[in-house]
Amino acid sequence: MFKAIVSADTLGDALDSVSVLVDECKIRLEDDGLSIRAVDPANVGMVDLSLSAAAFESYETDGGVIGVNLSRLEEFVGMADSDQLVELELDEETRKLHIQIEGLEGTLALIDPDSIRQEPDLPDLDLSAEVAIEGADIDRAVTAADMVSDHIALGVDADAELFYVDAEGDTDDVHLELTTEDLIALTPGDARSLFSLDYLKDMDKAIPSDAEVTMEVGEEFPVKMHFDIAEGNGNVTYMLAPRIQSD
Amino acid sequence: MGNADIRSLAAISEVEFDDLAGSVVAVDAHNWLYRYLTTTVKFTRDDAYTTADGEEVANLIGVVQGLPKFFEHDITPVFVFDGGVTDLKSEEVDERREQREQYEAELETAKAEGEDSARIATLQSRTQRLTDTIHETTRGLLARLDVPVVEAPAEGEAQAAHMARTGVADYVGSEDYDALLLGAPHTLRQLTSKGSPELMDFEATLAEHDLTWEGLVDAGILMGTDFNDGLDGVGPKTAVKLIGEHGDLWGTLDARDEYIEGADLIRELFLDPDVTDGVDVDLDIDPDMDAAKAYVTEEWAVAPDEVERGFERIEESLVQTGLDRWT
Repeated sequence: MFKAIVSADTLGDALDSVSVLVDECKIRLEDDGLSIRAVDPANVGMVDLSLSAAAFESYETDGGVIGVNLSRLEEFVGMADSDQLVELELDEETRKLHIQIEGLEGTLALIDPDSIRQEPDLPDLDLSAEVAIEGADIDRAVTAADMVSDHIALGVDADAELFYVDAEGDTDDVHLELTTEDLIALTPGDARSLFSLDYLKDMDKAIPSDAEVTMEVGEEFPVKMHFDIAEGNGNVTYMLAPRIQSD
Repeated sequence: MGNADIRSLAAISEVEFDDLAGSVVAVDAHNWLYRYLTTTVKFTRDDAYTTADGEEVANLIGVVQGLPKFFEHDITPVFVFDGGVTDLKSEEVDERREQREQYEAELETAKAEGEDSARIATLQSRTQRLTDTIHETTRGLLARLDVPVVEAPAEGEAQAAHMARTGVADYVGSEDYDALLLGAPHTLRQLTSKGSPELMDFEATLAEHDLTWEGLVDAGILMGTDFNDGLDGVGPKTAVKLIGEHGDLWGTLDARDEYIEGADLIRELFLDPDVTDGVDVDLDIDPDMDAAKAYVTEEWAVAPDEVERGFERIEESLVQTGLDRWT
């Protein structure tokens, strides 16, 4: 059994943060809310999302796992204005999701969860530096890097106590430094890793510009980015595997 | 190419490339190159891969175009090359195999593409033999790309099957149904094609027909292999039935009063082929992209735009790590 009412905004943001990486996912329905963990087919980017029952107007379930085609579900949710409510109800017999938005009613066929790529194990990471940064600053860094290159280095200079971004293209390059004054917080430790901008751009799209993002970086390690959604009633963690640095 | 009739005995299912991530595939290099030479590279301009001396090095384009498929799906290929021939008998056998492989691959291409007869004639005149240069340059390029290579003492496919049997590789990569007779536990077919590969399962095949490995090989010999013509009118069903009735190849031949030239040697080629355990494969691929590009486009004068995209894909797929490295 699953029956929930949630604002189109909240649901849409949550789904967006997953759909930038995968087309289909399993949604775990638990007493205290729902959770999604998914990794892209190339095993490079991972998302771990939880949306607590408090993020919903109403939320009832006796547990279970459903599989959804994210773009289909997003299309349905997209039919609602952002402040409208979306009612979801699982029909156990037909394995379809009933969706109701202000007089609009529809059903969405679910996908057999077993046919969806297995949920990944969480990497065990010992990351040397932690940066708390505004979503808007990540967006600025990604946009700047994208002008000149298809990859981006994220690093922390422990001595200078600053977070930096490097992007080197064939002809042009950019360098961006954020000091403790520009950042919300910095736990210094030497770190530098190189990432694919294709992935980081997709993740950046789902990070609200006013979000406070906790970013953990290491030496040639995956980066972890953690932020709240649904006014603190949910959170998203992204992990992105690094590229091998050539020099 | 093996007897295609074996297909109807084989337990075959489709697999997704995604499900193969992290695995090691022992690729029958001979077989793989033929596929690329006949099905992929023929669409390329002739002058793109013929050197000033008229040496054909289309194989280099094939390698550059074929490798990304492995790397992008996090599959490590180990290319297993045919070794030298040991005695007169196997030399004959080897020549015969080569001839047939060539013939079948070309025929298949022509059929698949519905080519007009003039085009088929051109193709046939440009016989895709694996020349010494093709052998040399394929190894040269793979070495620069740091892709593991194994030199088989005799047949590459037998060595690949042995590597899969002993756990050095997870799969054999070959179009050849003989991989089944060679006891390869799991064989991937259609690695060079566009869609999903096929998985041929050895144990499931034996179970399905209630055969032992020897029984399967005997049935194969009755049907005909690269090394012998089968008995008249004996197809897969009959062959399996005959082995069931008469126990093995000898029982069947006795009962039918027939004879197959060199049957025990052929049997041995499948059940106990000349293979080696002394393979040292380094699965950590660390290519020298600059050296590989220079080798192909400068040393062997392949037109750079023919291989540019392939090299980009190789570079991209190898420098990006996967999260599974940290779990």
